[in-house]
Amino acid sequence: MTKMTFKRLLTATALTSIAATAAIAEEVDYGKFDGYTLRVKLIGGAQYEPLYARIAEWEAMTGATVDVLSRKNHFELDREIKQDIAAGTLDWCVGSNHTSFAPQYGSIYIDLNGVIADATLAEFQSLALENSTVDGRLVQLPRHSDISNLYYIKSLFEDADNQAKFEAEYGYALTPPETWDQVKDQAMFFADAPTFYGTQFVGKDEAITGRFYELLIANGGALFDDDWNPTFNSAAGVEAVNFFKDLYEAQAVPAGSLNYLWDDTGLGFASGTVALNLDWAGWASFFNDPENSKIAGDIGLVRAPKGSAGIRTGWSGSHSFSITETCDNQDAAASFVTFLTSHESQMVEATAGLLPTRAAVWDDAKAQFTADGNDFLVEVFETYAVSMSEDAFTPPLITPWIEVSNEIWPQLQAAILGEKTPQEALDEAADAARIVMEDAGYL
Amino acid sequence: MATKRPPFWQREKYTPFLLLLPAILTLLFVVLLPLLFSLYTSFTGYRLIRPESLWQWVGFRNYQRIFADGDFWTAFGRTIIFLTIALNLEFLFGLGIALLINKITWGQRTLRTIMMFPMMFSPILVGYQFKFVFNDNIGILNNALQSLGLSDGAIPWLVDKYLANFSIIFAEVWMSTSVFAILLLAGLFAMPRDPLEAAKVDGCNPWQVFRHITLPFLMPFVFIAMTIRSLDVARAYDIVDVMTGGGPAGRTELLWTLIARTGYDNARMGQANAMAYVSILLSIAFTYYFFTKLLAARKYMGGAE
Repeated sequence: MTKMTFKRLLTATALTSIAATAAIAEEVDYGKFDGYTLRVKLIGGAQYEPLYARIAEWEAMTGATVDVLSRKNHFELDREIKQDIAAGTLDWCVGSNHTSFAPQYGSIYIDLNGVIADATLAEFQSLALENSTVDGRLVQLPRHSDISNLYYIKSLFEDADNQAKFEAEYGYALTPPETWDQVKDQAMFFADAPTFYGTQFVGKDEAITGRFYELLIANGGALFDDDWNPTFNSAAGVEAVNFFKDLYEAQAVPAGSLNYLWDDTGLGFASGTVALNLDWAGWASFFNDPENSKIAGDIGLVRAPKGSAGIRTGWSGSHSFSITETCDNQDAAASFVTFLTSHESQMVEATAGLLPTRAAVWDDAKAQFTADGNDFLVEVFETYAVSMSEDAFTPPLITPWIEVSNEIWPQLQAAILGEKTPQEALDEAADAARIVMEDAGYL
Repeated sequence: MATKRPPFWQREKYTPFLLLLPAILTLLFVVLLPLLFSLYTSFTGYRLIRPESLWQWVGFRNYQRIFADGDFWTAFGRTIIFLTIALNLEFLFGLGIALLINKITWGQRTLRTIMMFPMMFSPILVGYQFKFVFNDNIGILNNALQSLGLSDGAIPWLVDKYLANFSIIFAEVWMSTSVFAILLLAGLFAMPRDPLEAAKVDGCNPWQVFRHITLPFLMPFVFIAMTIRSLDVARAYDIVDVMTGGGPAGRTELLWTLIARTGYDNARMGQANAMAYVSILLSIAFTYYFFTKLLAARKYMGGAE
């Protein structure tokens, strides 16, 4: 009875309009686990919660109960998991994970190859699975992916007066930017502090390290050489730091930027006081929702611009689920994570703008948006599909990534605030990163 | 007939120790053992994510790194300055509030309760509250200043070197002034009336009464409050973490934001514990100083030493 093909799943939830061609190959038996309680730790937050409403369905299907031990943001969850490792209290089965965090956890999570059916894995994008693999082990099943593209206020670019003034000042036409140099010009052009800003950036933690990292790549640099020596204090690195520093000094970004994280930049753009905003796909629906956003209906979107080496920025990662080695019922855990990343589950997440990791969901979600007449989300999915397949790259999947990041971002802040030159700041960060890499056994 | 001597644990002189044993054991397991354990880990390369590193003895390397680490000493110095400013402000405001409330004859209980509201909030909530107040773009403070025509720019409250520290101290003082106020108020309630009346009869003016009778009488209470609060402030973490995270560029980094980042985010618990042990010296120094002052104040008042 619990054997459900995808076709039946889809029928059950009135998603029949979606062609189930891709799903035919995949038959999932979610199993029976009567009376078993599955203990899980999940990432919480507005974007992630709608999926959890489906947990009751899995419980009804399998007879198991799910006990959600914690539901926190990823940074807090990370601390909790580290404490569990230290205290030897990994007495739970499934945890939310992320490509940036996964390499830290060593071997606490099982290799999902052979645990999750091959037919199921075949439905996932190969790049997403590759990025979920650490030391040859598939330690996580990707739930949805993330990459950033550039949102802008359309009317500003369509305004004839703006177009004429911009061309007179900068010598080229005002069109949505193709390079980060153009972003800088346009941001400075539109900025009128303290009421209006050209753009903005997140200013602390791994967030700004990530933004620096992708610009470094786009400028032709690299964080490390092939032997793991830090190389980000290169000319490309200095150029990347100067991008942030110049915008900050010109007051083209809010004065508090260095204290901003994702919520601040997202809410800032939605408040209509920022012209250009590099942001994640998960914000798309929010930006275009008149309830939350003053610029709903006036949003343009282009692929993330290119750096000086002609490469587009594309810092990317996936949210995922992992199963612990210590789990007392790995079959139930595997069934649970398969269910939460199923075609149907990913359709639920796609509706919010989250990027699927199953190839078929991209097309099916787009078909659904077209049917619903939601042209904006169709455009979002088309743009993000291209950047996911052509521009995406992850941070180095190494254990000390977060630690290296913690050496980099305070130095970036010091350079942006003018306490050090970009070269001095990056040199200091590189020296500190070298010690971290030495301690971790990479050097 | 010779009676048999009872076993030693039944002898009278050991009874107090026997009765105290539960307390001693509790202290041993709850306080002393964790302290010894963390002291031990400060000599290891213990990393949270690699439990086996607990046995990796590195001698004084963690301490050597700390002593050579400019960032640590900057945070150490900043914590002392932060503590000094916050405690003095809290003392002055707390004293003022206590004196004013002491004068009130009607509605005093209600006021005392209201006064304690800030203490009832979790420090994390206070942090979020002031993060919003001091936000440069959408914060109410900047918007108010701009609306009143007092400022035409966006003041970067949480970014500027001085303003960021000011903002955090403001939040800390807002939350904890009532600790001083309540302890000093208790002191005022306990104050004998005779010296005050005698002073008035002798023709002292209110300032002289306050300076030579009220204040010396209150000083022991002040130092008790100072001791409690100095331990609190030296461990300041939640408010700072929420408001600035110790940044930008380490401008508001205090000992415990640094220690927490080292211990959890970087998972270097050995090094974090070494930092914590050095920072405990700070707390011990402040506690010792305030206790010395407390004894002096009591002696001055003719109290017991």
